[in-house]
Amino acid sequence: MSGLTFRLSTYTDERLDLSPLIPSNLATLPLSDMLGLVVGTTKRQLKVGDLFAVSGQPGDTVTIQGGSEHLDFVGAGLDRGTLIVDGDAGAYAGRKMTGGELHIRGRAGAFLGSGASGGLITVKGSAGERVGSMCPGDKFGMTGGVVHIEGSIGDRVGEKMRRGTIITRGVAGAHAGSRMLGGTIWAEKGFGPGPGTLLRRGTLIGPAVEQMLPTFADSGMHDLVIL
Amino acid sequence: MRANGITIDDTFAEAFGMSATGVIVTADSPKWARQAAVTMSGFGTSVIGCGAEVGIDREFTPDDTPDGRPGVRVLMFGFSPDALLPQLKNRVGQCVLTSPGSACYAGVDSQTRIALGAGPRFFGDGYQTAKRLGKKHYWRVPVMDGEFVIEETTGVITDAVGGGNVLLLGNDRAGLLDAAELAVAAIGNVPDVITPFPGGIVRSGSKVGSKYDGMIASTNDAFCPTLRGAVKSELGPDTVAVLEIVIDGLTSQAVANAMKTAVDTIIKVGWGKGVTRISAGNYGGKLGQHHYHLRELLP
Repeated sequence: MSGLTFRLSTYTDERLDLSPLIPSNLATLPLSDMLGLVVGTTKRQLKVGDLFAVSGQPGDTVTIQGGSEHLDFVGAGLDRGTLIVDGDAGAYAGRKMTGGELHIRGRAGAFLGSGASGGLITVKGSAGERVGSMCPGDKFGMTGGVVHIEGSIGDRVGEKMRRGTIITRGVAGAHAGSRMLGGTIWAEKGFGPGPGTLLRRGTLIGPAVEQMLPTFADSGMHDLVIL
Repeated sequence: MRANGITIDDTFAEAFGMSATGVIVTADSPKWARQAAVTMSGFGTSVIGCGAEVGIDREFTPDDTPDGRPGVRVLMFGFSPDALLPQLKNRVGQCVLTSPGSACYAGVDSQTRIALGAGPRFFGDGYQTAKRLGKKHYWRVPVMDGEFVIEETTGVITDAVGGGNVLLLGNDRAGLLDAAELAVAAIGNVPDVITPFPGGIVRSGSKVGSKYDGMIASTNDAFCPTLRGAVKSELGPDTVAVLEIVIDGLTSQAVANAMKTAVDTIIKVGWGKGVTRISAGNYGGKLGQHHYHLRELLP
C-alpha cells in the first residue's frame, strides 16, 4: 500500500482545514508544494510543514497519524483512494465526499459525511451530531455512500438526507432522520427521542425508540422480504 | 462418423444473433421460486409466435441471491431489446408479481439496461416506494401478502445466440424421448443457456416458408417419417421418429458447451434406447451468423 503519511508533530489549539490532504490532490504535487499547503484557519496561515512530518510517496493512500479533534474537513471532497486517520477527527470529516474510503480510527466530530454523495466512511469510535446531514446552504444532506460507525452518534443524524446508508452499532441521538427524504439509518441499539421529525420518505431501523412522535402511527407486525 | 454405434452426420447447427435479458426470481422456498419462474416461462417457446423464448437457466441457493432466499434465474431471448421490453413487463407483471412471496431482481449484468420494475411498480397505485441501496435501485410494491420487491432495471445484451440445436433420429420413439430427456437434463448443468421448448424438446421441427400464403414456417417434411415416400426425405428406412433439442445461450460458447453436453449424453445413452443417428438443423448456412459443426463437438 503505497502512499503518503502525515504525522502530526506539533500541537496546536487552532482549528485546521485538512481538506487539501486527499490522494487525488496530492498525486502530482512536489514535496515542497505539499509542505506549503495552508491548513490553518486564522491569520497565522499555518502550513502543512509547520505541523506535520511527511513521509512516503504519493499513491492511493494518505494516512494522517496522531489525530485531534481540531482536524476539521478531513477527507472533505474525497473522490478516490483511501484516507486513514489514525486517531480522532474534528468536524466535517468526509464532507461532500464523492468516492473512495475514509477510515477514522478514533472519534469523529459533527457533520461527518455531510452532503456526501458516494464512497465509504468508517469510524471506530463515536461520532458527533448531524452525521450525513446538510450544512447551512446545502440543498440536501447525504445523497449517497455508506457511513459505518462503531460507537454512538449525536443528534439529528441524516438531516434532509436523500440517499445512502448510515449504520451505527450504538445509539442514534434525538431527532434522527429529521426532514429526511430517502436513504437508510440503522441504529443497532435504538433511537433517542423524536426520530423522523418532518420525515417525508426514508427508512429508520432500530430495536427501540426513546420517545415516538405523535405523527407516527403503529402499523403492526410486518413480514418483509427486505427491510 | 460413428461413435458408440450411433452415426453422427457431418453437418452443423445454424444459429442466430439475438438479444437476451434475464431476471432472478426469489421466493420463500425453492418450490415457489420455481413456480413463479415456470409460470413466467409459459408460452415462450419460439420467438416467431410467442414474442420471446423463455426458460429457466439455473437455480440459486440462498447464498447467491440478492435477498438471501432460494431463487431461480429465467433467461429471455428476443429479436431486439425493444421487442423484449413488453414481454418482460407482461410476464413479470402477470406471473411473478402475482406469485406468493416472490421478488424479482436483475439476472443479466450488462451496461445496457432495460426497464424491469418500471412497469409493474405502478401496480402500487402510488403506495409504491423507491429504495436505492448502493448502486441498485429497487421498488417496494404493497401486495396482499406483504411487499413485492423488484429491481428498477435489468441488463440486456445484443450478442446472445438463439437456435443452437441437436437432432436425434432413431427407431424407437419412446427410447428416443428418454435419450432426449437425459440430454436436456444434462444441459441443465450448463450455465447461461435455456432449452425453451416443452421439456426442452421439439417434435415439430420446421422449415422456412410454406405453400400457404402468410405462413412463415411449416413442417420440416424432409425429417417427417410418414412423408418418406412422398418427399425428398433425409431419413433412412429404419428411422421411426426424430426429436430436436433447441438451445439459446447468452454467449456462443455457452451454446457450444450445451450442444457438446447434449451430443456427449446421447452418444453415451443412445444406443440402448434406439438412437441411430445424430444430426443438426441448418438453412444452408446463409441465414444464421453462428455455425456449430457436430464433428468439432465430438468427445
